[in-house]
Amino acid sequence: MTGLLDRPTMAVPPSSRPRSTTVAVVGNDVIPLPGPAPEPDDAEIGRRFATGDEQALALAYQRWSGQVHGMAVRAFGPGPDAEDVTQQVFVSAWTGRAGYRPEAGPLPAWLVGVCRHKIADTWAKRDRQRRLAEAAAADAETRPAPAARPLDAAVADRLLLLDELDRIDQPQRGIIELAFFEDLTHTQIASRTGLPLGTVKSHIRRTLERLRSRLEVDGAAALHA
Amino acid sequence: MQQHCTPEDLALAALGEPLPAGDAAHLADCRACTDEVASLRRSVDALAVPAFAATGSAVAPPPHVWAAIAAATGVESGPAAPPTPAVPAAPAAPVRPAAEAPAPPAEVVPLRRMRSRLLLAAAASLVVGAGIGAGAVALRDDDGDDEAVVALAGAQLDPLGENSASGEAEVVERPDGSRVLRLELDADSPQEGYLEVWLIDTAVEGMVSVGVVGAGTEELELPPDLDIGEFPIVDVSVEPLDGDPTHSGVSIARGQLA
Repeated sequence: MTGLLDRPTMAVPPSSRPRSTTVAVVGNDVIPLPGPAPEPDDAEIGRRFATGDEQALALAYQRWSGQVHGMAVRAFGPGPDAEDVTQQVFVSAWTGRAGYRPEAGPLPAWLVGVCRHKIADTWAKRDRQRRLAEAAAADAETRPAPAARPLDAAVADRLLLLDELDRIDQPQRGIIELAFFEDLTHTQIASRTGLPLGTVKSHIRRTLERLRSRLEVDGAAALHA
Repeated sequence: MQQHCTPEDLALAALGEPLPAGDAAHLADCRACTDEVASLRRSVDALAVPAFAATGSAVAPPPHVWAAIAAATGVESGPAAPPTPAVPAAPAAPVRPAAEAPAPPAEVVPLRRMRSRLLLAAAASLVVGAGIGAGAVALRDDDGDDEAVVALAGAQLDPLGENSASGEAEVVERPDGSRVLRLELDADSPQEGYLEVWLIDTAVEGMVSVGVVGAGTEELELPPDLDIGEFPIVDVSVEPLDGDPTHSGVSIARGQLA
């Protein structure tokens, strides 16, 4: 399986005349939400998502797929790869919804976290495919295969670091995410969170040291491919 | 020379924050402090990338992405309206002391396999109980062939998801006892890959590949012992050219023989 061809759906341009449907096997038509129900707020969607309310998945998609897809597009450019990531994020979030706890944070932040994992996974997959292709090319030319090149360092680092981030408790995790992903300075983080400046600084230091340790300890283990 | 920077300041330097002039001057000259910053910066460089930023602009995914998610999850509720590009940025996780970090989501099985399974499972819930009209319905062959062709079963194929493919399928028995699946498919050629026809059982667990087709009218000979009562669902899928003989999970049209 090439993966690159493993696309979620093929875009089949509309062509045929509309037909009335008599066989009840169409499983995934988009069905409009019934009635003018009041729009649930984000927290409500998060709670309902966690309990497996199917409509909450649709609402979450409606509200946050743009954010998720924006990240995927920044990683892979517009097109099938980005669409595949966005699809994976929502499918994986839905099937893994037991791992989402509304009391620990809003659903969109969790979805964005899932998206980072999917992007990192896809980067790693592409990197592996590129190495395989290079090895195959070398083989075809009956040249000695180049020494097995490890995963691109940044690609491997990201997999490890995202995993480590998931293990970090609050408030440390939220603090470092504001620094990494929202580009806030420590003074901005202190004012956003209401935590003392010194506390923010020391959490940042300890978290960066922790992440560095993870890279030092498990850096080689990242080559599980 | 000023004494070494504090570990906290070195961490901030690794994040790219400017240090007070005195510290900055020391850092510029001190090998130990510079090395410390460089080693801490590896994490920053790996994670603080645009694709991971929570603040970038939103991009609305094309409609077929939702269709694929609905198919993979079996969720039938749809978004009330297509998401607009102006979706506000997702807020960052609030920092709450003592709050437990959410566990990472369960790692999913490879998408392709899961998609097939779930898609088919979703279809199963809709076709279970529908049953198949037992026995052969002897109809005149529409084509008016001289041969006495007997129509055994037929199905209208309806589009799945965002697809506009549709068609009709008919199983007919030829005078020599062989059976063919006649397919009249109204579909565009896939941009990549090819179209494959399957007969699937009502439990949507087993399936038989009947052949590769294009749009238009095609006849596919069925294996002699294949029980179409056991595999009554006619499914047309788009298959990538990836050498994987299993169903891609991307069905464009489907119907049940009766």
